[in-house]
Amino acid sequence: MLQLVVGQLLNGIIVGTLYAIIALGVTLTFGITGIVNFALGAFMMLGAYVTWYLSDGAGVAYPIAVPLAVACIALLGLLVDQALFRFTRNNLINGLIVSIGLISVLVAVVLMIWTTTPQNMHYVLPGVFRVGGVIVPKMKAVVFVVLLLVILFTYGALTRTWAGRAAYAYAQKPEAAALMGVRTGVLQAGVAAYAAGLAGLGGGLYASLYSITPEIGSAYILKGVEAAILAGIGSIMGSFVGGIIIGVAEGVGSIFLPSAYNDAYGLVLLVLILLFKPAGLFANR
Amino acid sequence: MKHLLWIPLLAVPFVVHDNVVLTILVFTFIAGILAVSFNLVFGFTGQLSLFHAAAFGLSAYATYLSMIHLGISFWLGMIVGVLFVTLISVVIGAICFRFNLRELYFAIVTLAFSELIRLVILNWNSFTNGSLGINFTLTPTLWVPGRGVIPVTGTLMWYYLSLVAVALAVFGYSRIVHSWMGRCFASIRLNDELADTLGIDVFRYKLVSFVAGNIGAAIAGSLYSFYISYIDPNYFSLDQSLAIIAMALLGGREFVAAPIVGALVLTALPHVINVNAEARLLIYGLILILTILLMPRGIVGLLARQRRAA
Amino acid sequence: MLLEVRNLTKRFGGLTAVSDMSFALDEGDIVGIFGPNGSGKTTLLNLISGVYEPTAGQLVWQGRELAGCKPHRIAEAGIVKTFQNPQLFGELSVHDNIAIAGHLRLKRQAGWRRIATLFPLRGKASADLEPRIDHILRLCRLEAFRDAPAASLSYGGEKMLGVAMALMCEPRLLLLDEPGSGLGHDEIRNLDEVLRDLRAHGTTLCVIDHRVGFLGKLADRAIVIHHGAKIAEGPPDDVLRDHAVIEAYLGRSHA
Repeated sequence: MLQLVVGQLLNGIIVGTLYAIIALGVTLTFGITGIVNFALGAFMMLGAYVTWYLSDGAGVAYPIAVPLAVACIALLGLLVDQALFRFTRNNLINGLIVSIGLISVLVAVVLMIWTTTPQNMHYVLPGVFRVGGVIVPKMKAVVFVVLLLVILFTYGALTRTWAGRAAYAYAQKPEAAALMGVRTGVLQAGVAAYAAGLAGLGGGLYASLYSITPEIGSAYILKGVEAAILAGIGSIMGSFVGGIIIGVAEGVGSIFLPSAYNDAYGLVLLVLILLFKPAGLFANR
Repeated sequence: MKHLLWIPLLAVPFVVHDNVVLTILVFTFIAGILAVSFNLVFGFTGQLSLFHAAAFGLSAYATYLSMIHLGISFWLGMIVGVLFVTLISVVIGAICFRFNLRELYFAIVTLAFSELIRLVILNWNSFTNGSLGINFTLTPTLWVPGRGVIPVTGTLMWYYLSLVAVALAVFGYSRIVHSWMGRCFASIRLNDELADTLGIDVFRYKLVSFVAGNIGAAIAGSLYSFYISYIDPNYFSLDQSLAIIAMALLGGREFVAAPIVGALVLTALPHVINVNAEARLLIYGLILILTILLMPRGIVGLLARQRRAA
Repeated sequence: MLLEVRNLTKRFGGLTAVSDMSFALDEGDIVGIFGPNGSGKTTLLNLISGVYEPTAGQLVWQGRELAGCKPHRIAEAGIVKTFQNPQLFGELSVHDNIAIAGHLRLKRQAGWRRIATLFPLRGKASADLEPRIDHILRLCRLEAFRDAPAASLSYGGEKMLGVAMALMCEPRLLLLDEPGSGLGHDEIRNLDEVLRDLRAHGTTLCVIDHRVGFLGKLADRAIVIHHGAKIAEGPPDDVLRDHAVIEAYLGRSHA
């Protein structure tokens, strides 16, 4: 029994990091451009498909396919930001609708090219680690480490580099930052591309673990938004913790309740936390 | 006012005999009730509620289940559905507004409640038949002088039933919007902190608006499910909520009846553009994007602006 | 005694914005609140009007404890506040802005019967408001802008509209947060007339303003706040010559 719980716990942590990377994208986008971009889920899905296509279709080695996919998705995120989201800055509702429209467009394109048939990537890193009787697939551990490093890197970049602190300053007081020479247009475009890249990374890693369909984006963006909000939108490390909380809650919860209720844990936690701490768990940036 | 537009609609079935067109109109009218009632909460009071589809679905299930288990008529069943939705709306609304959730947080929490309800419906197989949904043959019945009680079947009868329903809905919501209550809703949309200091009980009015809107969704849910004789948990999906928002935005937020235009376009679209499902999804997405960016006031808003300029 | 503020304190995390503030207002008083920027004047008004909940202390209005009540309840009780940065319903016309402020008046006059506005005999209730709206428009010199969108007003106009809306609520105590700042000469004179008119009608006023000359002539009493605490209270002339007060302002010359 203990083994089961620990196993689910570890699994939950790993799944939680996937939620966290999306949550990070959500929080960055909201802080700098003032909208929640639901299309990050679609970007994740695209990241998965592009990675799979490069790796299984074009024969590119996986460790190269992923960064390539990330770059593609980041570029797409930039294009879409400049063409569309540039006109919905700080307008939550307009941004929401545009992102939904964008999701439909992206999902439609993927459906046309690859249909709904689930695709499976070849095993990138077969084999498992045995940790005291608990089995952890090696690839999952790799995914966890990569995502954790990226999140830490993001946190470091935001707090220690000039560009990062400029971003922080902007998120706190846009007008003041602009007056001090922060090029807000460039900043917003940059964050949009970066957030898309994060989502793409999540997708590329996801592809090595699970089968992919055009629908995977929607569940992840929902969990990502949940994690970002329950942690307090604007908190970088908070999105990590939020993702983990939801992942673990689902993992451990599925031992006791039918897995059909999995999606509910995140929701219930979210509602409870918002009611008692309306700004989220880690409200102050 | 625009009351005159209703008259030609009464005459349509005498001129148009194509069943597909009439069916589209039935769906449009029912979706119109959904969109118009949503617009009260969203367009007039400024609250982005993602619970509307849940109210729609809850009433559908409540109506059917109460008819089966209590043996009552459709109309009583619909009242049960409306009452049930009212109760749930009061509870959820009170929770949300009591804790003063705003904008994004309000949207997400209403979405959370909607999803939770969907999960319950999906898994309570014994009562709701879970993901398989419910196929049934029950229909609403009407008492007609001279003929007694007859079932409502066929496109023609549904056309007039849904037309009357949407007309009543528009009338009702129009009265609300133009009443003192409607002014309070507008003040909340425009500047709710200011409204509070002027003596307007923001909590109460937000709650009333939320419940009043959901009642419309409930009525639409009962009608819709009995028109297609099928209910399933997809009624509660996020996609449904998003489609409702799209209708309100496409039609226009400023006028009570404008969302019906949005409902018409989105309902008729799959039939007018005869391509496969993926292409339709693509076009749907493009419409959403182009509407928001180019026509933020919706179709009706755009026409109104042009008429004023002329 | 109309309002008694007792040991009112407000803390935001580690910062104490208002500390142990006590004073009383009688019907018809005009009290000026002075103090350097950041001394807690606006926070004090926000506490009285219900925008903030006090960390400690009492607010007794006509014998009732009001601390912790929501702004609309306090407005209903008769205390209305204006905003330092004018808050308006931008999209609506000046007339409609004031009309919405008629909510309390309508509620007091018609009570639950205002639900009748839902039925086609529309607007009878709001018709009663029209004379009052006209009166206020004239008083605040806003008649020319009656149908203009509120967002199109000048800064001075916006501030007067804020005062107009507060007047429409028929307050017994009117809290004015820097009503004169940013106003031109004529506008100040207009504001002065409005305040004198209010005084003549027995409305109690509590005004924050930097313009010592302007407020000094109008107010019966002055209260000076520094770092959230009251450092002086009394007739304006005496208070403003007080050593501690001058020190708080540190070299600030009178307007």
